[in-house]
Amino acid sequence: MIRSHDSIIVQTLGRFLIPVVQMFGLYVLFFGQYGPGGGFVGGVILGAGMILSILIFGYDASRSRFAQKVLHGDGVGMLIYAGVGGLCMIGGGEFLNYANLEIPGLEIASRRSLGIVLTQIGVAVDVMVTAISIVFSLSAEEIIEDSIDG
Amino acid sequence: MSHQLPAILFLLPLFAAISMPVVCLKHHHWSRPISVVILAAMVPFSILNLYNVIRHGEVRYAFSGWSAPLGIEWVADGLASVILLLLSALGLLGVLFAGPTSPKALGGRIVHYYTLIMLLVSALTGIVFAGDLFNLFVFLEVAAISSYALVGIAGGRAIFAAFRYLILGTIGASLYLLGVSYLYAVTGTLNMADIAGKLPMLLDSKALIGGLLFIFIGLGIKMALVPFHAWLPEAYTYAPEPISAILAPLITKVVLLAWVRIIYWVLNATIVIYDIPILLLVAALGALASVIGASLALAQRDIKMMFAYGGIAHIGIILIGFGQGNPTGFAGGVFYLLNDAVMQASLFYIAGIAFCQYGVKTIDELGRIGKQVPWLTGSLIVVGLGMIGLPPTGGFFGKWYIILGALEADDYVSVAAVILSTLLTLAYFVKLFECMFRQSSTRSDDQFEEIPFSLKLTMGVTSAAVVILGIFSAPIVQLLLNQALPPGL
Repeated sequence: MIRSHDSIIVQTLGRFLIPVVQMFGLYVLFFGQYGPGGGFVGGVILGAGMILSILIFGYDASRSRFAQKVLHGDGVGMLIYAGVGGLCMIGGGEFLNYANLEIPGLEIASRRSLGIVLTQIGVAVDVMVTAISIVFSLSAEEIIEDSIDG
Repeated sequence: MSHQLPAILFLLPLFAAISMPVVCLKHHHWSRPISVVILAAMVPFSILNLYNVIRHGEVRYAFSGWSAPLGIEWVADGLASVILLLLSALGLLGVLFAGPTSPKALGGRIVHYYTLIMLLVSALTGIVFAGDLFNLFVFLEVAAISSYALVGIAGGRAIFAAFRYLILGTIGASLYLLGVSYLYAVTGTLNMADIAGKLPMLLDSKALIGGLLFIFIGLGIKMALVPFHAWLPEAYTYAPEPISAILAPLITKVVLLAWVRIIYWVLNATIVIYDIPILLLVAALGALASVIGASLALAQRDIKMMFAYGGIAHIGIILIGFGQGNPTGFAGGVFYLLNDAVMQASLFYIAGIAFCQYGVKTIDELGRIGKQVPWLTGSLIVVGLGMIGLPPTGGFFGKWYIILGALEADDYVSVAAVILSTLLTLAYFVKLFECMFRQSSTRSDDQFEEIPFSLKLTMGVTSAAVVILGIFSAPIVQLLLNQALPPGL
């Protein structure tokens, strides 16, 4: 079990730092379409922000509640990814052929752009959850057991 | 719709695996029906896919619309479609078998079990369909990681076996990846068809030979070829019953298929590197494996251990078929692979039922169930006939075509190895039956509980399949000769 850190300096710094880290993670995630970055890196940064919050405020703190909830969502990211791919298949193309995303009023180029963003979000969610669950499984076994066994 | 089938077949179990932990978070008992439905849906889809391939030729599926050398490609040809039908049918039977035995054997980890099984099935589908070497590696690793976890799922002694499997399997995967990187360095591509086009000019390249050697050793470890088989018997023996019943028929055979694909589709099988025809090497390794595996099986007293070594010997026999380099041997190898998978499944179902229902673990205890449990005894006799290779069963016809192929190629050592292995198989089954019938139970008033229906069903279906494959061997082999042969054979 991870307890909260008792130093006020660490706590105050964390309060400022964590939102910045999260914002940067989102920036990297969405910037990935036009430059270096993308779902994997963005997901790691988002996960790192939550790990920071758990390390500073402890597992039980209200600030870490989101991280606790996220842990149950293992696989949601893959579902988003596979869902976008499946929509492409329903549209008549190959798996992940974004040109076949049947969204009215969008040109093919914008469909591709939208498809890439959606799959990258899926990747980011999964990487984030995996990063958090690695930290948990290294720190305390019983949390992982509870989270999977219900 | 029909051109999407290869992708659908892969995505169905993958989708199920990733949504299982979320869906079954609150309702553990949903995991079994979900898996059964998904695998039951895979069977007709794979039949449809096979039909489609037979009618219209092979399907090449380019993911996200990027065509072959650039993108990721799925190749659904005759061989892949036949193996996929086998894979989905045995997966379904394995999950049906797991139902009544699982809660006790798995230590309550039901959701873990079904999630990992679905992941395993989708990874094996990926190995069967993968059209490039790197994706083959990815799916090999996904399949391997889920099987390490499955072997060790219930804890106890299996954890040691799982750890050993993990170490050896990881060494195998690393060697394979190293070999792939050598080939990539030489040819500049990972797509199998693309490499096949570029290789003839590069046969003198030392990097190519090094890479091939690494790939062969890596896959050899994964498919428990004889010098590298150390992980298999313990992993399958100490794994819980519902798990060894799925792993034993599928893992090694599908990896063997990947090996065959590299030998025949990527390399042209007739190539000679430094005066060594590689097919001679395949046949020699097969002969070695078939004899050594069967001799080791003869020395076992634990039933599952004996069957596991039997499986190692049969990998050798299949390789002898593939090593002959003629259509008869190749089709015989594929046909024997189908039979062997069915027989291994059946044997591990029988061993699982014997242990879970009657507590029988070694052949000395088999006498307790000899005449009292006709279902079990009957299936064991049928499958035993198949393993030995007596005429009405598929095992006989498989060996028959393999020997015909070897005679065609004038490879008398292989013929001798197949016959010797058959005799050794006969020996260990005689030993098994002798223990079963001679030491009849002294306590005839033993109360035996009835075998649950789904166990009877799985055992009955596989035992019947051993015979049915034999009866319909001619059309099946004809189909394989027409559809599943590699180019240039």
